[in-house]
Amino acid sequence: MLFGPSGSGKTLTLQCLAGLVRPDRGRIVVNGRTLFDSTAGIHQPPQARRLGYVFQGYALFPHLTVAANTAFGLRDRPRAERDERAREVMERLGLGHLAGRYPRELSGGQQQRVALGRALAPDPELVLLDEPLSALDAPLRRQLRDDLGVILHDWGKAAVLVTHDLAEAYQLATTVVVYANGRVIQSAQKSELLWQPASESVARVMGIRNILRGSVLKAGPEAIQFRWRGQILEAVNSPTHSYLPEPGSPLAFYIRPEYVRLIRKDRAGPDAGHHMNLMNAAVAREADAGTVWTLYLVLDEPGEPAQGAYDLEVEVPKLVYEILEIARDRHWQISIHRGSIQVLPST
Amino acid sequence: MLSAEALSAVWLSMRVAVFATAINALIGIPLAWVLARHRFRGRGLVDLLVTLPLVLPPTVTGYYLIVLLGRRGWLGAPLYAVTGWSIAFTWYAAIVAATIMAMPLMVRTARAAIESVNLDYEKAAYTLGRSEWSAALEVTLPLARKGLLAGLVLAFARALGEFGATLMLAGNIPGKTQTLPLAIYTAVQTGETGESFGLVLMLTALSCLVLIASSRLGGRAQ
Repeated sequence: MLFGPSGSGKTLTLQCLAGLVRPDRGRIVVNGRTLFDSTAGIHQPPQARRLGYVFQGYALFPHLTVAANTAFGLRDRPRAERDERAREVMERLGLGHLAGRYPRELSGGQQQRVALGRALAPDPELVLLDEPLSALDAPLRRQLRDDLGVILHDWGKAAVLVTHDLAEAYQLATTVVVYANGRVIQSAQKSELLWQPASESVARVMGIRNILRGSVLKAGPEAIQFRWRGQILEAVNSPTHSYLPEPGSPLAFYIRPEYVRLIRKDRAGPDAGHHMNLMNAAVAREADAGTVWTLYLVLDEPGEPAQGAYDLEVEVPKLVYEILEIARDRHWQISIHRGSIQVLPST
Repeated sequence: MLSAEALSAVWLSMRVAVFATAINALIGIPLAWVLARHRFRGRGLVDLLVTLPLVLPPTVTGYYLIVLLGRRGWLGAPLYAVTGWSIAFTWYAAIVAATIMAMPLMVRTARAAIESVNLDYEKAAYTLGRSEWSAALEVTLPLARKGLLAGLVLAFARALGEFGATLMLAGNIPGKTQTLPLAIYTAVQTGETGESFGLVLMLTALSCLVLIASSRLGGRAQ
């Protein structure tokens, strides 16, 4: 999965893999087959690479039927075998009844299927998909995201997928390569990327909220103490990234909005062991985000709030919002578990 | 109503226009494709040479054709020396003149049509194992067919009405190189108003037929 904002070089990477663009230098190896090697002067043409390519917008041949589109990559096979294979592919993708139709007569979802079928029919070693879902409406996109994962899994095809949609990356990827400004800024397993973005820029590209900056007080292999907005906070230092900045140096970190706790006033006093990183804040603004409420909190501290109009963005489920009567009660003590403050090593 | 000479002019013009259009299809379409899809040295020069007859006075184009193909021309002289035959003042010369004059319309229209075909279609064809030529034949040209057809229609109409360059290279020999526009000119010059009017009607009708046929074809290709 290649993930990053538009214009960051994801599609270019895909076109280099497919042989449609010749890179300046480097090596491309697929399943032990060298497709490109600048030092050895190897540059296999796209025709010889045996990679399936699903274009953004699909690029289905508008003058050919679904059947002819599907069979397009099978020309080197005998006619009977070609027809048989195209029929098999269409049946498996649920396109059998559309064989005689033209692309313009199909829905967006059906077009995507045909594009997938056309790429899969010649049995490629690897399928390249460029924003395969971006041409579709939101509800359909969610359903086809599930379908796409199932199809690629069922056909046993390794795929390289380009997306700028985080949900798509989360759901379909095993490994995610994060792009920004034409560079790869992190390449990691999905779970690692989710919990340990390698740097502040990765966190920003991933759309992580509450990315903040404090200054280091004390950094140890277990925990980092730092100052932010007049508060002294403590975060777990990730065991895999033993990051030991000097005291006084700046520190980037983020707090996931759904991991900020509002402390109930109707319960017994705070227990130091449970309530770490205590702060007092007022709700400056709120927004109904569907299943949750987003609260924009401003700390009870003088000075400019850290994120312009607010210090922290916090998400509470609707039920919690109602039980705590947040609509009425605007001032809260909050706590953040030290494991829920993620430190972003500077790069 | 029309004399035998006039009828032969109609018949000659039809043949010349059909051949000129066919040659334009064979040479003009590949040329348009190369100009649309490739960057190479001398591309600007080729483009200029092809387009020039569009802006030059037809007699000037005809003059260059004489310089090139006349009995003492750069290509014409060696040909005459070897075979004793010269293209000048034959009906082949009318075809050459009509072809050259129609080429800019064919190439420019076809080129615009080819350039408007999204490159992703060709790239898709490459990843599905097609060579550049098969991708052009199976994907690009079929997708540009409306523009190609429009180019052929324009070329045919231009070839049918060609006057100046034809007069220069092929002359105005009744029954041999006198095409419809030349016959009209001659008829007017010699005061045969009835005959010239008939020929004018004939040419107008032919042009209308071409336009109607092309819009029918274009409609079906839609």
